[in-house]
Amino acid sequence: MIRIIIAGALMISGLFVLGIATIGIFRFSTMLNRIHVAAKCDTLGALLVLSGLIVLSGFNVFSLKLLLVIAFLWMCNPVASHLVARAEVRTNPNLESICDFVDMTEGGELNHDADN
Amino acid sequence: MNEEIKAIWRSFYDWVVGNGPRPENEVIPDEPPPDLPFTRKPKDKFSRFHEATLKERYNQWMEIHGLHMFSALYSGISVLTCIVIVSLLLATVAELPPFGDERNPANNEVIRRYVERGGKETGAQNIVAGLILDYRAFDTFGESAVLFTAAVSVLMLLGASRRNNADDEQAMKGNDSGKNFMQRGPPSVRLHTFRRDDAILRGVASLSMPVIMMMGCVVVINGHLSPGGGFSGGAILSTALILCANAYGFERVHSFFNERTFITTSSTALMIYALSKGYSFFTGANDIHSVIPKGTIGNILSGGLILPLNICVGLIVAGTLYGFYALFSEGEI
Repeated sequence: MIRIIIAGALMISGLFVLGIATIGIFRFSTMLNRIHVAAKCDTLGALLVLSGLIVLSGFNVFSLKLLLVIAFLWMCNPVASHLVARAEVRTNPNLESICDFVDMTEGGELNHDADN
Repeated sequence: MNEEIKAIWRSFYDWVVGNGPRPENEVIPDEPPPDLPFTRKPKDKFSRFHEATLKERYNQWMEIHGLHMFSALYSGISVLTCIVIVSLLLATVAELPPFGDERNPANNEVIRRYVERGGKETGAQNIVAGLILDYRAFDTFGESAVLFTAAVSVLMLLGASRRNNADDEQAMKGNDSGKNFMQRGPPSVRLHTFRRDDAILRGVASLSMPVIMMMGCVVVINGHLSPGGGFSGGAILSTALILCANAYGFERVHSFFNERTFITTSSTALMIYALSKGYSFFTGANDIHSVIPKGTIGNILSGGLILPLNICVGLIVAGTLYGFYALFSEGEI
């Protein structure tokens, strides 16, 4: 019984995070803000939902597979968001008018007229 | 009550979309109707309507009313066609046998044979693998050939343009056949090339690429024992190759997989497929005893020809998918 309550609380909080993130994707206007929200949604929300499932099923092979899924998501989702954001920064010529950013690369490689 | 909920929902929707509060009594201005592009205004000769001949009158009438007539006729005919097709299809659905009934025509002796004797006849634990690579191997051979043909034609088309560009550069340097260059146009220029030196991606790729490769090999080799097989395993293998190309650049992949390797592996795999299945078709059709052992069901080395055929299909699919990616993003494998 306690296990079901804990699992339900975890899954409901995960769904809450996912719902908030879904609203945020529509609420924000620029692409970098949106990718920020989407990355949070997939890491934290999926972590909470999957850990709720792990608590529900107990310690067995199935929960071990779910742990692997969590590890895979935590490894790949931030990298995917990073790559999408990087592509946006590299290819959007109007970036300075949308947001403040500091070019921290060596020699300012984000200069769009250069042959990067 | 209902109106209040609607108002709350509307303000929430506006907040999400970012419009701000909607003003009350909002008046949308009436736009003037746009000029219809294909209608003509009546001309001067329309005034002497009674003097015109019948053909001229017909032409004038068509000029003024023809487009309206056509659009009305078109929408009427399309609505009629839709109604006829939908009612025909619905009538056919009503005639279909009930779902899951044992007397359905799909439940015939073919299914029974596959389910009851498929394991013994093909030696595969996975009945689907036994189906597509033993009973219906000719079909799978055609699919692999289609994939290979598509890859080779894309290679020919994009590779031809690349060779032309190389010729143009030589012509520009040599300056002796500038006419050739003018005919073909300048070589294409990429606006933003993606520099493949991302440290984060490299770290994750070095962790995940061996796992993905191993997963692909397991799916290919276990094709006759578990779900999977050549097509899905080949797709996983090509994912690992594409990840490697994105993280470390295409030069790293070229060190072990280039155009020559692709052509060699794909044609060899197709040839092995054709020869082995030709042998088994020949023996099966002529009632000759085949020398290929079936093995015990459940072992890795079982299923007769299914394991080597899965490996062939996996090689072809992996090479083709990676080749498409490389050709369309870089212009060369």
